[in-house]
Amino acid sequence: MSGRVIVITSGKGGVGKTTTSANIGTALARAGKKVVLIDTDLGLRNLDLLLGLENRIVYTIVDVVEERCKLRQALVKDKKNPNLCLLAAAQTRDKSAITQEQLKDICEELKKDYDFILVDCPAGIEQGFQNAIAGATEAIVVTTPEMSAVRDADRIIGLLEAKEEIQSYKLLLNRVRPNLIKSNDMMSVEDVVEILSADLIGIIPEDTGIITSTNKGDPIVNDDSSLAGKAYNNVARRIMGEDVPFLNLEESRGVLSKVKKFFSGLIGKEK
Amino acid sequence: MRDIFQDLFNKVFGFFRQAEKEENAKETAVNRLRVVLMQDRTNLTPELLEKMRGELIELLSKYVEMDKDALELNFEQEGNQMALMLSIPVLRAKDEDEIEAENSEDSEEAEEKSEEESSDAESSESTEDAESSAEDNQDEESETEESNTNSKDKSK
Repeated sequence: MSGRVIVITSGKGGVGKTTTSANIGTALARAGKKVVLIDTDLGLRNLDLLLGLENRIVYTIVDVVEERCKLRQALVKDKKNPNLCLLAAAQTRDKSAITQEQLKDICEELKKDYDFILVDCPAGIEQGFQNAIAGATEAIVVTTPEMSAVRDADRIIGLLEAKEEIQSYKLLLNRVRPNLIKSNDMMSVEDVVEILSADLIGIIPEDTGIITSTNKGDPIVNDDSSLAGKAYNNVARRIMGEDVPFLNLEESRGVLSKVKKFFSGLIGKEK
Repeated sequence: MRDIFQDLFNKVFGFFRQAEKEENAKETAVNRLRVVLMQDRTNLTPELLEKMRGELIELLSKYVEMDKDALELNFEQEGNQMALMLSIPVLRAKDEDEIEAENSEDSEEAEEKSEEESSDAESSESTEDAESSAEDNQDEESETEESNTNSKDKSK
């Protein structure tokens, strides 16, 4: 087996890299793929929280690098899905605790046994970023329809293009708010895609369900009724090569909007 | 009478509504981003761009007479490619004799002027060009001579 190594990166912090990593990883595992999630945000680890695995971590990636344990020992199995496991970041060390070479070796080793190795990248463009992309051949650039996030994504794309090993990168537009786009208060998906001139792999709507799912430590893709969950599932299917159309976010699903729709339908008929 | 007022009202109201439409938050964001990304991607600062503009004017005025104030130097994006677009409003091309005459005049002038003209030539090139365009109207040739001597000074 030779797995694919995909780095999930963004430049700017807080746009949803870790949420994206957790959800795509879980969705791929649910589809029967063997997946490892690597948290490379040394000193600021969070992927364990999003997966609800924070109490199960014994060894971290730094322990592997410093040979206190075998790579296999450091992999934490997911509670729900045996196909998914996590290689956690060390919380007490900083970015200089591992090198690009070491991360590359770990990815090479994991490729033998897993279909997908997803690397959750820290914010910024310094050593942490360079480490995270070292072993990857593909990248997903997460951004939101905000100026600062788009600008940083542009910078990241420039750096990824300069890196020979990265064969392809795709754009994931997170926290999209159809209502704001409709009223011309927010850049649309098309605007961002045109400005960055990159291929799109997913459009994720802003969803308060993300907050509750993070609080529970249970990725939103496990909730079949969630629109954001559905959107993340579609991203996973696209990664696996399926041709999945993008969700229509214009249709709001709230109860209130359904009532409104019903009434406006009635009025329309009266005319 | 009423119709006239209503028509006027509609026109005024319509004008304001149109003005509102022209600048919404989304468009502002897109336009601001475009500009900032061009600078980010090329690493070219506005100061450098201005300097380049000045030097291009200097070079090109050897060969053509042009409207210097209307010369435009801008970035444009076409898909994945970034292009530096130079738009030159040419008034008249100079013929070979003129160009040669200027060059020879320059070398004479340069000798005369080299003592007078000192260090300030290099730094204030572009502003000098802009200022001297006013004098141009009176004596067109003197301007081009001046900028040519500047470039000679610089190469020394």
